[in-house]
Amino acid sequence: MSVLIPRPAPHGGRLEERVVHDRELGKKLAKGCAASFDIRATLDENGVPVRNVYREIMSICYGFFSPVEGSMKKAEVERILKERRLLNEWVFPYPLVFDITEEELKDLGVTVGDRLLLRLKGKPFAILDIDEIWRIDDPEDLAHRTFGTPEANPEVVNEPFNAKMPGWVIYKNLSPVVLAGKYRIINEPTFLPPFDKFWYPPLKSRAEYDRRGWRTVINHQTRNVPHVGHEFLMKDAAYTGDLEPCHGIQVNAIIGVKRPGDYPDEAIIEGHAAVNEGGYIKPERHIVTFTLWDMRYGNPLESMLHGIIRQNMGCTHHMFGRDHAAVGEYYDMYATQTLWSKGIPSYGFPDAITEVPYGLHIRPQNMREFWYCPVCNEIAYSECCGHTKEKQKFSGSFVRGMVAEGLFPPKVIFRPEVYKVIVKWWKHFDYPFCNPKYVKEKEQRLEVDLPDMDI
Amino acid sequence: MAKSIAVLLDDKRLAKVKGTDLEAKVDVMFGGQLSCFILEIDDDHAKDVMDAFHTARVDSRGFITDVPIAFNRVLFEEIAKAKSLGTKAIDGVLGRVEEIKDLAAKESEYLPCPEF
Repeated sequence: MSVLIPRPAPHGGRLEERVVHDRELGKKLAKGCAASFDIRATLDENGVPVRNVYREIMSICYGFFSPVEGSMKKAEVERILKERRLLNEWVFPYPLVFDITEEELKDLGVTVGDRLLLRLKGKPFAILDIDEIWRIDDPEDLAHRTFGTPEANPEVVNEPFNAKMPGWVIYKNLSPVVLAGKYRIINEPTFLPPFDKFWYPPLKSRAEYDRRGWRTVINHQTRNVPHVGHEFLMKDAAYTGDLEPCHGIQVNAIIGVKRPGDYPDEAIIEGHAAVNEGGYIKPERHIVTFTLWDMRYGNPLESMLHGIIRQNMGCTHHMFGRDHAAVGEYYDMYATQTLWSKGIPSYGFPDAITEVPYGLHIRPQNMREFWYCPVCNEIAYSECCGHTKEKQKFSGSFVRGMVAEGLFPPKVIFRPEVYKVIVKWWKHFDYPFCNPKYVKEKEQRLEVDLPDMDI
Repeated sequence: MAKSIAVLLDDKRLAKVKGTDLEAKVDVMFGGQLSCFILEIDDDHAKDVMDAFHTARVDSRGFITDVPIAFNRVLFEEIAKAKSLGTKAIDGVLGRVEEIKDLAAKESEYLPCPEF
């Protein structure tokens, strides 16, 4: 019996890589398009951006969401809503669609069989081969069915989703016409600083693990600037592995629209880099990466997507805490851990997501919480430390409040190097957190630029 | 059940209470690395605070959090004025709700960046 854990195969068996690297071929493909469409943000009812489909196209085409190849057909969306599976059987949590209005469809004049050129920031970006055109009859119903209801999913859903839940708002505000078909990027974007240093799509991340000699890698999901509690979560969760602790600790930040009060993406990614630059986790064992995705905050469903992304990147393990990728109290706080430990039958999983056919192979490391214990005088793990009365928790809102008041946080909460990153981007944006102004400007700027491509 | 509110104290705020009776009430968190006042708030006052500020919530520790930054600033002023962590300070804050709301409206667009 080997105790060594091998790197898992990509979800679906092979990595999708739907990027045309040959620019001449890219031009040729663009020239053959029946029409072109300028990608725009999905807006909420107040006109604030909540999603940009370009992020989904990037994540699909660079293989983060393998085996998904494009915008989904109606039958595929229905299967996902019922069983959380693609038509090829592999598990997948969310509908992903390219949606436009009836007016836009009329203006484009495209039909099934046509190739559509998708432009981003005014430049050719990708193509969509239209296999099906279908309608979302009731976006609110789609939003409810995407996340579940207390009646249909009583194991994990506590209360009905509503306009305070960002993922629900995304689906509720989709346009009614879906152009379904495969995407291909024909003009590779270049990332703007600071994102350019952290772009490791699955083919590259797997090669990077090889270069570093990492067989086992544990992933830390983040949408936060790391406080010291996060740092200890990463360090301690990484003691799992096989014969020895995990060789690598990967941070994979979700970059995209976030809710007010979250930190700006630029601070999140550089804040994590500051952890290894400061030597708190040595750079040889730590890598900071990101995935483009407008978070749905779907707790167990989001954790499934996270598992898919990180398995595709080549990770062997994934840490999950309580309230994983959650907002509010819609879900049970341990819903994600339930999915990964025993399954959620109402979502289609009578067993753990790693035990069902066509499931995931990345291994979950379900963690409880870390707090500061003044008796132990250290950052302590809740399942070790017996001083539950004396504990001092790293409450996110407490930490955000301290930052907002402009108080220099003690080293036991934020490493000085990390806090300086928060201040750097605070000066840049005149604000320490995401607010509507940041979100609107970010959606103009995006994370990428595109080279000129004359067609 | 009564709730709590923590008012964090930086060097400037600590200097303002130095030499007063409040100095003895300074609490410490995180192994003495962070100073604060911790106010106990009875249910009625806690409800008034929660009703006045829609972002406010009670966290898992039983602390009222996510109040506007201006709330914390005004609360410190009222504590310093009352020289007490008692009900008088929170009454003072509730008497200035409109002022806090005006200041809070600007907080979503701009917060002054600290200089270190």
